[in-house]
Amino acid sequence: MSGGKVDIKVVLLGKAYAGKTSLVERFIHNRFVGDTVPYQNVITIGAAFGAKTVTIDNKNVIIGIWDTAGSERYEAMSRIYYRGARAAIVCYDLTDKSSFDRARFWIGELQKHEENCQIYLCGTKYDLVEAEPALRKIDERETRALAIDVRGEVYETSSKTGKDIERIFRKIATDYLATKKEPMTEENPDLVRLRKASKSKKLCAGCKS
Amino acid sequence: MAAEVREAEQIGNTSDSDSVQTELLETNEIPGKSENALLVATDSFEDLNYAGLTNGTLPTVSTSGTIHSLVKKKARRASALLDENEAAGDNTASSDETTNAVDQESSEVSGEDSQEDHLESRLTDLSLNETESLPEEIPMTQLIPTSSDIEDVNSLEWKQQRRHIFIISESGKPVYSRHGSEDKLVTIMGVMQALVICTHDFQKDTLRSIVAGDHKFVFMCRDHLTFIGITRGRESTQQMLLQLTYMYNQVISVLTLSTLTRIFKQHRNYDLRRPLSGAEKFFDNLLNLMDVEPGLLLSSVRCLPLDSSVRENISHSIVQHAKVKDLVFALIIAQNQLVTLVRMKKYYIHPMDLHLIINLINASESFKAAESWTPICLPKFDACGFLQAHVSYLDEECHTCLLLLSVDIEAFYILSECKAKIKERLVRYNALKAINDSLRRNSYSIQQCSISDLRHFLYKSRSIAQYTSPELEAPYHTKEEQQRLFDLYHYLHDRIHTSGRQLKILFHVGPYETLLGWVTQGFELYAVFGPLVTKTIAIHAVNKLLRWIKKEEDRLFILSSVTF
Repeated sequence: MSGGKVDIKVVLLGKAYAGKTSLVERFIHNRFVGDTVPYQNVITIGAAFGAKTVTIDNKNVIIGIWDTAGSERYEAMSRIYYRGARAAIVCYDLTDKSSFDRARFWIGELQKHEENCQIYLCGTKYDLVEAEPALRKIDERETRALAIDVRGEVYETSSKTGKDIERIFRKIATDYLATKKEPMTEENPDLVRLRKASKSKKLCAGCKS
Repeated sequence: MAAEVREAEQIGNTSDSDSVQTELLETNEIPGKSENALLVATDSFEDLNYAGLTNGTLPTVSTSGTIHSLVKKKARRASALLDENEAAGDNTASSDETTNAVDQESSEVSGEDSQEDHLESRLTDLSLNETESLPEEIPMTQLIPTSSDIEDVNSLEWKQQRRHIFIISESGKPVYSRHGSEDKLVTIMGVMQALVICTHDFQKDTLRSIVAGDHKFVFMCRDHLTFIGITRGRESTQQMLLQLTYMYNQVISVLTLSTLTRIFKQHRNYDLRRPLSGAEKFFDNLLNLMDVEPGLLLSSVRCLPLDSSVRENISHSIVQHAKVKDLVFALIIAQNQLVTLVRMKKYYIHPMDLHLIINLINASESFKAAESWTPICLPKFDACGFLQAHVSYLDEECHTCLLLLSVDIEAFYILSECKAKIKERLVRYNALKAINDSLRRNSYSIQQCSISDLRHFLYKSRSIAQYTSPELEAPYHTKEEQQRLFDLYHYLHDRIHTSGRQLKILFHVGPYETLLGWVTQGFELYAVFGPLVTKTIAIHAVNKLLRWIKKEEDRLFILSSVTF
């Protein structure tokens, strides 16, 4: 599924109740709906799509986000959501060990089917861990090691406080702009002109003589 | 005409039935009749019978369903994603995925095997000892071994529930329970499955229902699953069976029949709660819906009352802006009521499928946050494949929901554009406002019919599979009274439809109200009057009511069906 009027397609993957929808809600609408029952409010059905524009160095980048459902039965469908995605935010709940195993599964899937997809690891519900360090079930060193493995980045976010959420999407947009520039820097306009000029001169000289 | 009243039944009333015969309305004036229906007008209630349901043999799962024929002409990748069976052959990458998942399953299942066998044998023993005492007073507590005091069965709250619904796999594994957690109900579920299996294996018979005290147990086995409904309400066996059929349809809607059969073919012991996780609330919500929404009992749908010009405008907006290849159905639903439905020529939607769609919208908060793209299987349309649904709310308050159902799995962005255009047009022509106004008015009051002593009614036009009923007003404004009214309708419906003896008219005098049920080829009418109404008055009133509905039919029903 590609197309639409977005610059970057970002997909959120992870176990059910890892907090993917909350993360998107915070980023797009800057709100947190799980005030009464934190992080357990709604379960996503299928996948939800949302878009937001981010401005980096005066350039507007429209980020289209696919918030997928974590339930297992959608697994077979999930490929249509991450096909052609530039970036994947793989979420795991910092207070739930099994969610990290699920994250590894998604990384495996992405590496198998979407080589060009940049992976951003995201440990969610940081506010819970901050308030009660004993709740942390996932070691930061472990996640860093995995991030290095996949040549990705790792973030620890909280949709409740908004910690690092803006940062993760700004980083995605910056990385996107950087890759877009890369092909241009390879064929440096100055360098080409110099060569052409010298060649044509030689030719001209050869013709004359 | 005389034939229609011949079978009329009287209960506790002495008025002469001959004198009212001539008063009955001519049937050619059926309100809400239309040749051009948009829903499938089948009576699923009467279609229900045990012969078809409890048969142990499985229906052959073929991939040549409606969806398959729709996508056949399309690129293979789309069909591969729609039909997982095909995906294995078509696409090597996805077959890897499947084997992965299967590996995980098998390792987990083998770990549980021994425990499972042990449990099963224990349960079988238990049930064998206890079967003799079954017809006695509520056997649940007696069946439970004393050691398991943590089980939900022992809690008073659990026991006092009016209705229980269970889904159990063939091997006795719990799949779903309406009340309490399945983990804590393993024993009782195992007992029930044992009863089913014992009857099947030893008696070579099928267990249909058990009556124990004021409880009624109804069993239905379909596709490796056993559905059990237990009630102490007024629902008849047939009506319970209808509820169980809805539950079965909901399972299919989440998984598809092909996936369900494949899972149990590979692993008899498979824990179906895994693929169903996150879908529990669909089951809960569907059962709650059955308690308040008569449409499920009548297998018909309620339409939002709207001026026909407004409704026409809405459907034309959809036709105009959603002329997209592979779009099968487009519909707008507002608070469980159908606003409009546009369909592909040749394809109809079954009321039971529409109820599943309404349930999907009703049960999920997640659609309110953003545009969604989700697979849904409509069992009556095609039990073996998924349609893709683009779901979005058109207004800020999230009352009016637009659904675009397509067979093209890649169509999200196209449909998203369609949605924006439709919304823009509906706003421009004030159609959204009209919908909201109608919602705020809450249907209509019984007083608008200006028939004294008529308290409430349900009117279903059979040809279009739609029904109408006024708001619930005093005396039916409390929860208890509403429940009682529903019980009365269940009773009336059951008395008329009970197989073996179909009635045309039933007049019933109860302690608090008088009921009149009237079923013809064209319609079904269930009316509730005050307690002192005589049969003659009731018949007069009903005729007047039919004339009123006829007058209002353009507003209350969707009489013409719009196609792409």
